[in-house]
Amino acid sequence: MTETAIEAAALTRRFGRRRTAALDGCAFRLPAGSVCAVVGPNGAGKSTLLSLAAGLLRPTEGAITVLGQAPAAVRERLAYVAQNKPLHPQLTVADTLRFGRELNPRRWDDRVAARIVAEGDLAPDARIRTLSGGQRTRVALALALGKRPELLLLDEPMADLDPLARHQLMAALMADAAEHGTTVVMSSHVVAELEGACDHLLLLGAGRVRLAGPLDDVLAAHRLVTGRADASLDPHTVVESRTTGRQVTALVRPEGALGDGWQSTAPTLEELVLAHLRTPEAPALHLDDAREAAV
Amino acid sequence: MTAVTTIETSTAATPARGPRGLLWAMLRLHRWALWFWVLLVAVGAGALLWAYGPGADAAWSEYRTLHCDTNDPGLGCDALGPAYNMYDTAVGIGAGLLGLAPFLTAAWAGAALIGRELEGGTAQLAWTQSVTPARWLAAKLAVPAALLTTGMLVLTLLHRTLWSADGQLRAAMGSRSWYQGTAFEANGIVGISYALLGLAVGVLAGLLQRRALPALGLAVVGLALITTVLGTLRPYLWPLETLTNKHEYPPYIGMVVDEGALTSTGARVGDPICVDDTKCLADHDIVGFYRDYHPSSHFWPLQLVETGIVLAVAALTVVIAFRLLKRRTGAAV
Repeated sequence: MTETAIEAAALTRRFGRRRTAALDGCAFRLPAGSVCAVVGPNGAGKSTLLSLAAGLLRPTEGAITVLGQAPAAVRERLAYVAQNKPLHPQLTVADTLRFGRELNPRRWDDRVAARIVAEGDLAPDARIRTLSGGQRTRVALALALGKRPELLLLDEPMADLDPLARHQLMAALMADAAEHGTTVVMSSHVVAELEGACDHLLLLGAGRVRLAGPLDDVLAAHRLVTGRADASLDPHTVVESRTTGRQVTALVRPEGALGDGWQSTAPTLEELVLAHLRTPEAPALHLDDAREAAV
Repeated sequence: MTAVTTIETSTAATPARGPRGLLWAMLRLHRWALWFWVLLVAVGAGALLWAYGPGADAAWSEYRTLHCDTNDPGLGCDALGPAYNMYDTAVGIGAGLLGLAPFLTAAWAGAALIGRELEGGTAQLAWTQSVTPARWLAAKLAVPAALLTTGMLVLTLLHRTLWSADGQLRAAMGSRSWYQGTAFEANGIVGISYALLGLAVGVLAGLLQRRALPALGLAVVGLALITTVLGTLRPYLWPLETLTNKHEYPPYIGMVVDEGALTSTGARVGDPICVDDTKCLADHDIVGFYRDYHPSSHFWPLQLVETGIVLAVAALTVVIAFRLLKRRTGAAV
């Protein structure tokens, strides 16, 4: 019984001769069964985090545990779709699925994979190199879902898809995840793509965790307020504030009741994410029960 | 909430699987390379078989037609005839393929087997199936190694058969000796070991470069360096025999490695080229001449020592490749 899908503690990964940190002391905990959006600007460390979780990279410092074990030890139970959707170009669609069956003999479910492929009107004997980007994504997802993973790691899964295919594949993905209790971790810099599908949020910025926790809790912890420019927002934590004339609009984390002078609304996911991205100096908020990263 | 900081080294969660899946993947993914290798072996074997049968017969009949084997040889006996040239070319194709195979293998292994997969991410695709990187690499090494050994063995055995049959023809035409590069490699096991070394070097180059084209370059250059060094060392891999003679050089036999003049103290010096000038010889205190050489009986000792070294280098390369892969992925074995 695994209750935690992914747990990271002081997770750091550096690259290259200059030892630039792609991830820098990340700590978070993702409960099993959640559908987690990993959001952040380009270069925030999303792909690095997913590679670490998939056991393809080893952390420079710190640790990441997946399904209660080291990622390399649970290879069989997780699936990973990399950003560029790597597939063998010389194989046909049918052979690509056979590749999944041969390399996952104890888990492979042909029906699941075949259904995803069939929904895309893909000829089984079409070679991968002749497929469009969206069709490749579909085959890559079929390969990942055919493995019946307990944890599905998707790096920018929908980037190449047209809106219709995106909608359809996302629905298939969510239905499958709900049916089998699969934990899904999906990275994206298109926030709109994730809204409505995810119940957990991990916002990365410059290799650090900026926001982590159940989506509802994270949203509920923030208010979008509008008031007079000279009014004080103490003692609330101001994530971002913008003044237009005599009026100020701010995203705050209320530390109690807001004063009378403020009109407040609940922020959308997009507003929340954008406000955090525009102000990298805003304090991080952990609403999961992970230990804070050692500073 | 405990954070496990150690990288698991047990294989408990990735149970042993039959090789069928990976073997299928290897044969399917590298189908064209496999066919190319089959074709190459077929061409080499065909050339050697042709030389063994019709080629040698034609060369002999040409030889006899020109009366080269009599006391009244035709003028054509001064040069090699077209039939013998054809024969020699066919043997050269067979032996040449044996010599070329290690380099082709290194280039292919660096570029297509490993480099392209790391460059495009398909290696990572395999590692996120139920296959550890170490098992993936083991399959990448084992399947080509088996096919290479088989093909090289076929060509080597054919070349040996031909070699043992055409001794008279070679002697008559004064061509090719047992110690010359291609013949030496094609007649023993050292050629096979170089093919395996090529595979190992290519795989390591692919892992180091992680891109197809640079890996191809590194693999070929790396293998060329190793083969050059070992080729230079070859005569010193087994104790030499020495012949000495007074007044003139001892007969030239086998693989001659060193020769020169001897002084009255027994010291070896460079030949001052006095020819028969006794004063010159006396001035240089030359009392005799020597030749260091390998007789043909040293063929197998030289083969075995060199094969041992090549296989040791290949094994070391493979160990480095596995360690590199493990360090990079942090994967359980």
